[in-house]
Amino acid sequence: MRDRTLQVLNWILSRIVPVTEREPLLGDLTEEYELRASEGSPSTARQWYLRQVCASVASLLWIRLTSIAWISTTAVALLAYIAVGVVELIVNEVTSSVSANAAYNPLGMLITFPMVVLIVYFAARLRRNAGLVLATLMLVSVTAMTLWGAESVPLWYRIAYFFAGPSATLVGSVLRRFRPTGEAR
Amino acid sequence: MKREDALGSLEHIVLLAVMRLGANAYGMTVRREIESATGRDISIGAVYATLMRLESKGFIRSHAGAPTAERGGRAKRYFRTTADGESALRTTHEIIVKLSAGLKGLHHT
Repeated sequence: MRDRTLQVLNWILSRIVPVTEREPLLGDLTEEYELRASEGSPSTARQWYLRQVCASVASLLWIRLTSIAWISTTAVALLAYIAVGVVELIVNEVTSSVSANAAYNPLGMLITFPMVVLIVYFAARLRRNAGLVLATLMLVSVTAMTLWGAESVPLWYRIAYFFAGPSATLVGSVLRRFRPTGEAR
Repeated sequence: MKREDALGSLEHIVLLAVMRLGANAYGMTVRREIESATGRDISIGAVYATLMRLESKGFIRSHAGAPTAERGGRAKRYFRTTADGESALRTTHEIIVKLSAGLKGLHHT
């Protein structure tokens, strides 16, 4: 295949395709192009090739992104971290009607715990190690708040918070391993 | 079969094509098999994205073939279904049969 246009298209594709798939994918396209060019006209085969390249770009970009495992794991963990923050805010709002000191309320922590477990469960289903990254994020943020936080937080709350987040991520990750399965026949 | 490993529609089609092609299943033949069965000019990128997903789920395995001249000296990558893949196909087929049973307009008379 000496066509300059096709060489340019191959170059574009080779920049997008994950390295492991580059050789077989470009080989498959070249083989079918040659087959189509020999069965029909080269211009029809070239148009088909162009359509294939254009239609493949989105799928190939997606597998390229998802093949970088640590990026997607971190992204899932960050989204879960944001979800945990939103849940805490909502629970604090709800429990403020029950308790005067809503921010440091054991009830709020008790309600939040199973919700965090649920969030971690779904995050770990998307990415196996997301729970581990989320636990690390929680430990770092709690440590930072304890060391440098200006707000006076009760000691019991600091200790409980230090263990509650990582414990919830541990339970969520373990639940993900023991999810219900159907017996294959 | 694990619930999260249920087959999507394209995964189902690609897995069936790999199974039908047997020892000759590689990117181009899988794409052409799907095109001839469905009439859709499916992109090679979509086929590879699906094959990679199926491989990560353990439904297919791959191995490299020898480079050939008509491929510009590039090697093929052959795919074959695993026992888990065939089990997933059977389960999906059973679900489709159960859900479509008795529905008017789906069966030829």
